Amino acid sequence: MDESKRNFIKGGLASLFVASTSANAFSLKNPGRDKKDSRYIGDKTKHYAMVIDLRQCIGCQSCTSACMVENNVPQNQNRTSVTEMELGEFPDVRKAFLPQLCNHCDDPACVPVCPTGATFKREDGIVVVDSEICWGCGYCANACPYDKRFMNKETKVMDKCTFCAHRVDEGLLPACVETCVGGARIFGDLNDKTSEVSKLLSNYPTTVLKSEQGTKPQVFYIGLDGRMEEVLNATANLDDIMRKEIGIKEHEWATMKGEE
Amino acid sequence: MDTLITTLSAITPDRIWGIDIPNYFWFTGSSAAAFIISSFAHVFGMEKYKPIAGFSLLMALVLLIAAPLNLIDDLSQPGRLANFFLYGWENFPTSPMKWGVLLLMAYPILIFFEALVLYRPYFVKKMNFNKGIKRKIYSLLSLGRTQLNSEETAKDHRYGFILGSIGIPLALCVHGYTGYILGAVHGNYLWSTPLMPILFLASAMVSGTGLLIILIPIFQKFFTTQRRVDKSIIAELAKLLAWFIVIDLTIRALWLSFAIPFGNEPKNYLLEFFTMHFNITVYIEYILCLIIPMIIGFSKLRHNLPLVFITGIVVAMGVWLFRWSTVIGGQTIPRSMPGFLEYSPHMIGQGSITAIIANWLFFIALVCLVTSLFPWDEEMEEHYNEKGLNHE
Repeated sequence: MDESKRNFIKGGLASLFVASTSANAFSLKNPGRDKKDSRYIGDKTKHYAMVIDLRQCIGCQSCTSACMVENNVPQNQNRTSVTEMELGEFPDVRKAFLPQLCNHCDDPACVPVCPTGATFKREDGIVVVDSEICWGCGYCANACPYDKRFMNKETKVMDKCTFCAHRVDEGLLPACVETCVGGARIFGDLNDKTSEVSKLLSNYPTTVLKSEQGTKPQVFYIGLDGRMEEVLNATANLDDIMRKEIGIKEHEWATMKGEE
Repeated sequence: MDTLITTLSAITPDRIWGIDIPNYFWFTGSSAAAFIISSFAHVFGMEKYKPIAGFSLLMALVLLIAAPLNLIDDLSQPGRLANFFLYGWENFPTSPMKWGVLLLMAYPILIFFEALVLYRPYFVKKMNFNKGIKRKIYSLLSLGRTQLNSEETAKDHRYGFILGSIGIPLALCVHGYTGYILGAVHGNYLWSTPLMPILFLASAMVSGTGLLIILIPIFQKFFTTQRRVDKSIIAELAKLLAWFIVIDLTIRALWLSFAIPFGNEPKNYLLEFFTMHFNITVYIEYILCLIIPMIIGFSKLRHNLPLVFITGIVVAMGVWLFRWSTVIGGQTIPRSMPGFLEYSPHMIGQGSITAIIANWLFFIALVCLVTSLFPWDEEMEEHYNEKGLNHE
């Protein structure tokens, strides 16, 4: 073999080596996690959770708006929202609010089914979606028992609440928590026994949504009226009835109720 | 619960899977069934299925090439197809969708090679008949084994048997995994049952047999030299179909009886769901598309070719409807808010009715291509001559 051929082969092998070590191509996880990017790993020492004190919620939707602004969520899509209900029959009626967001489950249903590894749980318990990797198959959205995932109509990938991980990493509170008028949303580290969330959890009876699903949600409610989960016996969402009434059909999926 | 709960405002949840997905399930299922019917002859040596074994195998191949295109169309980022192969292997044990990659790649390759082995004598004959490039192509298709002596033919049988034997579990997996995809979703009350893979397989056998009952008479009538339909094989398929329907009905009965009368809280949702869809489910899906075809298959009516042909169409459509009512229906059930959702596919673009029609046209084009490349008709003829039957 002459020198030039030998050099060519050597060069080829060297560049192959460089390429294979620098490329993320055959990662079993995803590039961000392999690179130990702190945005993908989070703070290992912490375990974040949220407590929602329903006694304090006044249904002002400022959390909903703050989230939309902070996270640049497209119009008519929501990472968090507050469901508004009336419980009881006249004259014994009361208003009830149920703020809902991704539960950042300890045993999430969405993570293990993801075929590209785009959705995963950070070491601090926050469940995130890598928008560079997600290919939009929607399996996670179908797996989520809480319906808290949606296809972002602008990015065309899965989107959901991240507990404002970008703010939390900077030592700030999630936007919804910071803006909450009644102080109904409390966010913090469960590993820290002196944190407000830890104290609330040890001092008050709390409930999670759909505990029977076994996903171990990390969003805890104080004062959750069990009736609010009895959605089947409830009437259809008035917003949807209205939308139907005026003939708005945003996309192929729309709501209805059999008894309408 | 007497208390009235009125929802004043809530967010309509996002639902993801549209018309592509039931169509995909129909295609993979029918492919698995066609493969298994071809294996009756190739693996289990059942003589009566020999004439249609090759044709069924080709249909299995074509159906499975067309099927995954539905999945790609349903993605909101189809350009990121490669991500599926590059990332997320840590989820392999828990993501049935991940298993699908390997199955969707391995299975058509296996069918292709089985078809090559099966049709080797024809390719060798063609090779000896032609010169130049054509000769090379046929030599390639015969995989370099150009002898036609009894030793080589025995080898063909052995290879065919081995590939067919591997293919049976593979075919079951390729459709069974799709049932897993749904069954694993515990948040969805309609889907969440371990019966889902076997339920999907049972209905797949129904649609696959139905499809063969539609295609075989058409191909025998118009694309063979004898131009005659083998009524006996069609009657045989109709009887087979009836047995598959028995299995399908049994599993469906188990599924619904466990889910509704003995179910936990979700039974209320399912009861409401089936009440809303009572007419379509009972009269169309069950009576028209399963029970009547079953009666036809088990009675002397199975010798009535036009009737059986229509039965084939009906069952194939019925299984499509079942796929639809399971995939789409399951997603209409509410999880975080009151009220069932409603889905109406749009006309053009991704995940639309046009996309589905395009997929079917692609399937038909592939059928034409594959049936013109492979000498299934010669094979069919040969089997009929061997049997000494001048079939009608």
